[in-house]
This record gives sequence, structure tokens and C-alpha cells, in this order.
Amino acid sequence: MTHGNVIGKGVPRVDARGKVTGQTKYAADIRLPGMHYGKIVFSPHPRARVLEIDCRAAESMPGVRKVITACNLPGSNRYGYDVAHRPVLVPEGEETRYIGDAVAMVVASSEELADRAAAAIAVRYELLAPLTSPRQAMEPGAYLVHAAAAGNRCCVREFVHGDVAVGFQTSEVVVEQTYFTPRQEQAFLEPESGVAYQDDSGVLHVISCLQDPYGVAEDIHLALAIPKSRIHVKGTPVGGGFGGKLNTTIQVHLAAMACLAEVPVMLVLDREESFAFHPKRHPTEIRLKLGAGRDGTIHALEGDVIADAGPYSGRSPEVLGLTMSALMGPYRIPNVLTRAEGIYTNNLDSGAFRGFGAPQAAIARECLLDKLARALAMDPLELRRRNFLRPGDRPTSPMLGDSPVSLELLTERIVEKLGPKPSAPKNSTKRIGRSICFDMPVFDVGAIPVLGKSGVGAAVEVHSDGSVSVYAGGTELGQGVTTVLAQMAAEQFGLPMDRIRVEMSDNWTCPRAGRTSASRLTFGLGNALLLATGRLRQTLLVRAGKMLEIAAEDLVLEGSEVRLVGVPAKALAFAEVAWMCSDRGDNLREEGWFRSAEDRYMYGHTFMAAAADVAVDIATGEIEILKLANVLDMGRVLNPAMAFGQLYGGAIQALGYGLMENMVTVDGQSKTPSFAEYVIPSALDIPEEFVAEGVETPYPTGPFGAKGIGEAALNCTTPTLLNAIADALGVEITAVPIGQEHILAAVRNQKLM
Amino acid sequence: MTRQSLVLTVNGKNHALDLAPHRSLLDVLRDELGLTGTKKGCDAGDCGACTVLLDGAPVNACLVLAVQAGGQEITTIEGVSSSDGQLHPLQEAFIEHGAVQCGFCTPGAVLSLIALLRETPRPTRAEIQEALAGNLCRCTGYVQIIDAVQSVADSSK
Repeated sequence: MTHGNVIGKGVPRVDARGKVTGQTKYAADIRLPGMHYGKIVFSPHPRARVLEIDCRAAESMPGVRKVITACNLPGSNRYGYDVAHRPVLVPEGEETRYIGDAVAMVVASSEELADRAAAAIAVRYELLAPLTSPRQAMEPGAYLVHAAAAGNRCCVREFVHGDVAVGFQTSEVVVEQTYFTPRQEQAFLEPESGVAYQDDSGVLHVISCLQDPYGVAEDIHLALAIPKSRIHVKGTPVGGGFGGKLNTTIQVHLAAMACLAEVPVMLVLDREESFAFHPKRHPTEIRLKLGAGRDGTIHALEGDVIADAGPYSGRSPEVLGLTMSALMGPYRIPNVLTRAEGIYTNNLDSGAFRGFGAPQAAIARECLLDKLARALAMDPLELRRRNFLRPGDRPTSPMLGDSPVSLELLTERIVEKLGPKPSAPKNSTKRIGRSICFDMPVFDVGAIPVLGKSGVGAAVEVHSDGSVSVYAGGTELGQGVTTVLAQMAAEQFGLPMDRIRVEMSDNWTCPRAGRTSASRLTFGLGNALLLATGRLRQTLLVRAGKMLEIAAEDLVLEGSEVRLVGVPAKALAFAEVAWMCSDRGDNLREEGWFRSAEDRYMYGHTFMAAAADVAVDIATGEIEILKLANVLDMGRVLNPAMAFGQLYGGAIQALGYGLMENMVTVDGQSKTPSFAEYVIPSALDIPEEFVAEGVETPYPTGPFGAKGIGEAALNCTTPTLLNAIADALGVEITAVPIGQEHILAAVRNQKLM
Repeated sequence: MTRQSLVLTVNGKNHALDLAPHRSLLDVLRDELGLTGTKKGCDAGDCGACTVLLDGAPVNACLVLAVQAGGQEITTIEGVSSSDGQLHPLQEAFIEHGAVQCGFCTPGAVLSLIALLRETPRPTRAEIQEALAGNLCRCTGYVQIIDAVQSVADSSK
């Protein structure tokens, strides 16, 4: 696959120069004339009744423009994706549900004054016992976090295929284990931030780091009763999101501040507020059971997931739907019963985080497969290969569609990348372990509903000077979507990259594109862009055909020209044709609207393999990752440096998930409120050798054959590291993260030393 | 509130300022001098996004009081490329090697690594990791950042 002048090439990111020079304006870098500063007063208690909010002292402080409580808010005071049950501000008489609930807000002329005024707001609470264990929350008689949610059930997702009872009866070996996965924080470096103001015409402008400008506009409308026609939401370049900015974060609060204070307002959360406020990866307890024949053929899988959904629904039903589906992985399993429940608690909130429920499932599935291999005395890779989906197979999960199965190719590549297994020096306290795991990452194919309807829109305009604007409502989170879309437009028009300008993340200028999640933009926005550019190409070719008196079918767009195939002399400059189109009144702005043709399933899917060699020192508990290898079927690599960046970055987040990170709460209070306590991988924590490779089996409906790859690396890498450590020590790992202290405990328990 | 007059030398330019003494160098750079290329990620010295150079040495600007920085040469990301817009070779290498994703840690990381390359023009991989350890990056997994530094070191041979 070598066709393409810019597709598949090492094209530099279009936003890289601004980012390396510090010129890129993130939300907190915006300065507006007359700008004031907002501060939110959060509840210090996970569960408490708000008895009285006394704002008098704050209101009388110099420089304070406005103090806001629930009684000042217009509208419903409720917002939230899926279920709009989250209060903007908890009113007097009502209960808080977690430490990220807000009770009041101030707007003042400086950040320092806003801080002081917020501290001067006196709130009286009646302290109530928080519900902090999903198990307790499920018991009959437990207090209900939401009166409407019986048994504190946020959601129950269930999948049945075949008959597991029969499957386990016919199994000769059955293994079962319960796994515990931690709450993982997205730890984006840019805290939630934004500015908002109302203009002379009464339009509210909210400019903020976010992952879904359309969802934010919807929430502002719901909570504050502002007509949708007067809400303009503009996403700024995002300093990392990973799902943590997918739900509306501070934008409703910011909008209320700007409207009620009648001045431009900036609001930036500090790190502790940020960690407390946004939803994180669901902590889960997963009981998983596998039954197989002596030959290793899997007969049945049964899984039960209990997830801590935190105080609000957020994305829990979707996330846990994927957990339930991902328990099956890329394997043939004839009998399946999987169930995932999200349970409301007063702990920190849970929601979207790269992988979206699949990483938890991958840990349980791949760790239990290794346990099954031990029970069968079979090589774990051989066990997996015997159960791989085969070419032509469709996954068992009804959520997934068709994709060429590339598992054998991945196996070949990963084994080749891994090379011979290293050995520890004699008399060393180091033990060497190895693992190879597989996964079936998913991506949205334009089926995820956007405000009730599926589909993704993009607009493309050719200007009369031959330059091109693309309007795409997705958001640049750092993943590189702006560059990928510019590459696609450049390819389609035969223009250099600098003739393309991509405008993103704006609910006014961009056709509805929905959220930036589910690895969906390259696929969805890419296809929408190809539909729009396809029509524009036709317009340009027909016009050029008339100018040259040649049939449009014989012309091509390349080298900034419209050319007759094979006859260099017969050519017109692209800009000249664009000018003529404009002059003659041709339509030079087209919208493409892409939706999944089949509408039968939620996700497309691909395949991934990860492998690791580790050395574990049984004297110190230290884990060295000697080698980590990732091979992902990318469908088509559109931009190698960016594609591999997704693999490296995802894998290191996975390393953090498996070995380091846990956002601990005790009685609903965070015990890891800063980067000093919640430690994420630094440059010192990465593997000694890290190899990544993409294989390409084109996805039939993907733009240029591409698949969505943004989240893929996270799922597979964590269990690979866990299984390699387990292999090194000959122990079983059932709780994550596993750090030095856990290794030492295992060494003591197993009397390895 | 008492205020203190001082001159800050930032990217070779002198700024006469009258400041409350408790203000951090980070806040003064961003809010008084408009140099927003220096990022605030944690305001507690944990993340490194606010790294600037003080007389050539990397520091977290959030942990330095502005009044402590008087008389020293402060370099921010805005002072790294030349006045005609020519990028520093390391900035070029970041672009070429895909070392930039969301970009929020990039200015701080570039400054830490420029300081490294001045002291150690041909660093080992371990030395690069050590120099970068105070700059958290959640997007890249550091691999391409290290590649970028090594390419500059190689080309300076």
C-alpha cells in the first residue's frame, strides 16, 4: 500500500510548531478585557445535608462581583449525560453525593480575591454516613444515593450466548478467580479550565478544554434554560483528556458565572479539585470462570462484574456494556454468560477513561487464561491460539461487526519482535518472566448516537484562491486528528498540507460530529470528510473539464493542479480552477454526513498483541521491564509517528495501571489528591526496550482502510505485564496495581526466598 | 499589602515590576508578563509543566517566588527559538520524531532537555531519562521524546 502523497507519510503535526514554541493557546492562556475569575466551593464531605449557606461575608468583600448559590440559578439546576441528575449546585436542604459536588460559586476581580471570597462562604452541614462500598450499597435497606435507583443499581448489562451450564458440564478443566482493579485517574496535565462571556446580542460563549462541544451545549441548555440558539461552545486545544473531559466538566458552572456576574469569567480548577471532580476509570471486582476441554478448547465463560459507579451515572451504562463484551476477547467461546453492574456510591465519580471498560475485562480474561494454561499444563500462547477467532469468524458479542481476523499474523510478528527469552545471571535474586497476551480493541464506526441520532458530520470549503477549510467538530486532544484530517483533504485535492486549514471543536461552525471518544474520529470524521471532498472534487473536475474541453473523467487532482492523465501540458492550476468555480457560482462548500451503513452493531474492532519480558528481584521486590512489544492491526497507518505515539503512550498508561496507580479513597475522601501521592509513570519508569509495530489489514469501510487505534494499547499491555511478573515468580496476581510491596509479600507467602 | 519593586530579566529583556512578595515566578510570568507558554499543571512542584531556566538551570517556576528570581537570567519557552523564528534544534527534533501530542508538558520538557544538552551534549539514554524525570507526560510514554533528544545529540557529533 504505497499510494498517497501524504497519507501514510511522516507528515509533521500541523499543531506541533505552536506547541514546541509555547504559542498554542490553551483555555487558561486566554485573556479577555474585563475578565474576572471564578471559584467553586466544593463540599468537603462525601455525604452531608446542606443546612445553610451564608454568603454575607463573601458578598461584602471588595472585588467580589457575584456570589452564586442554587437559588440564583435559572433553569433546572440539573445536567448530565445519560441521566440528567447531577446538580450544578447542591441547594439548601439537599444532600451532597461526593466531594466533587459544588455548593456555591464566586466571581471576583482577581484569582486571589475569588479564593478568599470562596473561603469566606460559611456552609453548615449535617454530616451523614457515606456509602463507600458497592457491596454494601447493593444490600437491601441500604440508603439510596438516588431515590429512583433501587438497590443503588446505576445499570445492569447482561449478555447470554449458548448455555453456560452445558458448557461447564462438558468442560474437563474449570478455573475461576476474582480480580480487583483500581480506580485510575486520567491525570491529564491540563486541569479543567475555560472562559465564558455573554456578548451584546445575548449569546453565551464558552471557550474551554472539553471532548464534546455538543454535549456541553446540551448540558448548559438543560441546566440553565438558555436557548440552544444562544449557546456557542468552542473547544480549545486540550492538554490531555483520555475520557476525563468527555462529560461536561466545569462548563455549566462557568456559563452560570458569566451569565449571572455579567462579566467575562475565567475558571481553572486546581489539581486537587480536578482530581476530586471528574469521573475516573471504574474500580471493579470481576469474578470470572472458564471451562475447557483437556485439549484447551474453551467451552464456557461466565463473568460477573461489580463496578463502583460513584455518585452519578455519567457514562457507566456504556462503559460497563463494553466491560461485559470485552470479557470474551478475541476468542471463540460457544457458551457465555456475562453480567456487569454499576453501583452508586459516595466515592469519587466513575466514567470514561481510554479503553472505556475494556482494560478491566482484559486483566481478568488474560490472567485467567494463564491460570487455565497452568491447570492444563499447556503453553499459554498455544492455549490462546487454539481458541483464536478464525478468518471469517464474527465475534460472539453482538455489539461488534466484521473485521478481517489477523490474530495469526500478529502472533508471528510478536514472537519475532520478542526474540529469545533472556536469562538471569547465576546466583542472582532476579527472576525472569515472559508473557504474550491478545486483545480485540474496538472503535466507533459512526453508530454511536449523537444527541439521539447516529452519524458524524464534517464540512469542507474550497476558497476562490484554492486554499481549503475543513470544519470538523471533533476535538484535538493531542491524538493528532487535526493533522490526519488535513492529510486526508490534502490527499483528496492533490494539495500540499499548508493549503489546508482545519477548524475543530465548535458547535457553531462545525457540523454536528458528537464526542471525541471511542477512537472514532479518524474513522467517522474521516469518512464524512471523504464524502464532502468527493463532491467537491467532482465540481472542480467538471469545471476544469469545461475549461480544458476534456471529459472530467480523464482529469486528476495532483501537484496542486488539475491534469489530464499522462499529458503534463494539459493542466490548470488548482487555484485557477477554484477561482473559476467561484466566479461561475459553483457550490464550493459541501457537508459530508457519515453513518454506519449496517446499523447492526455499535463498534468496529481490531486485534492487538502485547508481549513483555520482565526481571523481578525477589530480594527487593523491584520490577524491571526488560522488553515490551506491541503489535497492533491498524488497518492502515495514516501517519506513522502519530500512530506509534498512540501505542507508546497507551502502553505506558497501561503500565501505570498495572504497577503504580490507584486513586485511593477512605470514607469517600481521596487519599491521593496530588501528583505527589498519585504517582504516574515518569521517564524513569519506562521499559528498557520498547518496540511497537503496526500491521495493516485494511478495514473495508475505513477511510483509506484505517481503523480507530487511539485506545487500543491500553487494554492488552496491563495483563501482559501482570502475567510476566506472575510467570517470573510462579504466583498468581489477582489485585492491581502490583507494586514492590506486593511482590515482597508474595515472596514471603510463597517462601521464594 | 507590602509590595516589592524588582527587575526580572526574562529572555534577555528587563521588566521593572512592583509585586506582592508571595507571588510565584509562574504566576508573574503568566499574568504580569503574558508569557503563557509556561504552563500550570499542579502548582505544587510535582508535574514539571512550569519548568523554566534560572541562569541555565531548570526549576519549577511554581516553587520559586518571583522576588527570588531578581538578578538572574530567566529563560522561558518563548526565549528558546531565535528572534527570527528559527527553532532550536531540539524543538525541530520534537516535531520530527512525534514527541508532541497534547503539548501541555512540551515547553517544560524542552527546557529541561536544553539544559541537559548544554551540560552534556551527548547524553546516554539513562541521562536523558534522568533529566526528563521531573517532567510528567501522560500522552507520549516518553519514547519519542527520548528519540528526539538522541537525534540532536547524534547530529552534534
